[in-house]
Amino acid sequence: MSKWIPLWLHKLSSPPTFYRFAGALRPWLLALALLTGAIALYGGLVLAPADYQQGDAYRIIFIHVPSAWMSLFIYGVMGFAAFLALVWRIKLAEVVAMESAPIGAAFTFITLVTGSLWGKPMWGTWWTWDARLTSELVLLFLYLGVIGLYHAFEDRRQGARAAAFLALIGIINVPIVHFSVNWWNTLHQGSTIRLLGPSTIAPGMLWPLLTMMLATKFYYLASLFGRVRTDLLDLESGKDWVRTIATGGTLQ
Amino acid sequence: MSRPGLATACAAMLRRDLTLAWRRRGDIAMPVLYALIVTMLFPFALGPEDTLLQRIAGGVVLVTILLAMLLALDAMFSSDIEDGSLEQLVLAPQPLALMLAMKILAHWLTTALPLIVISPLLAGMLHLPTAVMPVLVLALLLSTPMLSLLGAILVALTAGTRRSGMLLALMLLPLCVPVVIFAAGAVAASQQGLPWLAPIAWLGAALVLLLVLAPLACAAALRIALDA
Repeated sequence: MSKWIPLWLHKLSSPPTFYRFAGALRPWLLALALLTGAIALYGGLVLAPADYQQGDAYRIIFIHVPSAWMSLFIYGVMGFAAFLALVWRIKLAEVVAMESAPIGAAFTFITLVTGSLWGKPMWGTWWTWDARLTSELVLLFLYLGVIGLYHAFEDRRQGARAAAFLALIGIINVPIVHFSVNWWNTLHQGSTIRLLGPSTIAPGMLWPLLTMMLATKFYYLASLFGRVRTDLLDLESGKDWVRTIATGGTLQ
Repeated sequence: MSRPGLATACAAMLRRDLTLAWRRRGDIAMPVLYALIVTMLFPFALGPEDTLLQRIAGGVVLVTILLAMLLALDAMFSSDIEDGSLEQLVLAPQPLALMLAMKILAHWLTTALPLIVISPLLAGMLHLPTAVMPVLVLALLLSTPMLSLLGAILVALTAGTRRSGMLLALMLLPLCVPVVIFAAGAVAASQQGLPWLAPIAWLGAALVLLLVLAPLACAAALRIALDA
């Protein structure tokens, strides 16, 4: 057991194996994402009680908060893959890091948009220079910097390594930015859901939120796998296994 | 053949870069002129009211100097890449990080220092009280080296790409947010008569950390970008 898990991981990191693995898993992940997303939306928009203070307007939380979690989670995944890519020069890790960036940027953008939609009725303004809003905006720029640097190189693998390095610098910077803007100005409500200790959110609101969190995770994986498959075909276009697929054969 | 000691190599590197900068003295004046002109535009855009200008003076000077440094950053390694001397530096027996630290120091001396020298003039144009000037200069002395160090990492990363200043701005400015916050925080606190030592101390701590780590990161970035 302890021997074949590393062996399996090692095999998985070879492009043809991952191509097949991701292709087999992707429809299931997409279906799971749609299913859990539908359940979470029904739970959040219909079943969950209205907030005693914010009424029905708070329901955007079921999109806003999971997206915000994802924006940080994907940055973490990107940073981890970037680390693997830089240290062991694994081609698959480079691709995963680079293909995570646009998905993460999209989640960050959704967080900002839904946040400002929520802010209008609650705070009376679309945008305010608050700590969390600002660090989310900085996060978006960090993602865009990684994407921009990746595309600035002629050689894609070199671009991936440079952008992976930038992602690692960004990982160090995210907590510093968060701390410094907190020191600077804060208006955003505090966290109501905690990993350690009791959450201060009503259970009727909590379960749709957690279900949506699962849905976004599944969606991320499905989307990532699709993107990575396309990228792998492109990167390995001279190899035998790609030719086999292109000529309609099946992989061994 | 005996190779020269580290101190000799560092001094030679520094002397070379400063000499090169001195041969093109016109370039040194450019960021200074840029900062002066940008600062001049603010009263035109916002109106010449003393109270308003006084309130925004510290922040405007900081951001103007940041942008002026950003414009000059691109040139940090460009001529060395063109004539191939950067590759020689990577191959040299001396530690690359130390050599790059010398290059960054030379770059800071030729771009940031002139800007710091004229910063009281910039602040004076916007009627910043004289009592706040020392804090502004102190904040700049601590924050501009950080901008040079952070910028050097990113310039090294883009060394192998088609030159693009906008990309550099997109990458650098988010990293500079904490520096701007604390530097401006110190100036604002001093302007309101509050204790300003805490943000200055944070800047100093961050600078010490960056002084150690940034040259190493810069060397790693350069190795990635020049990867052969």
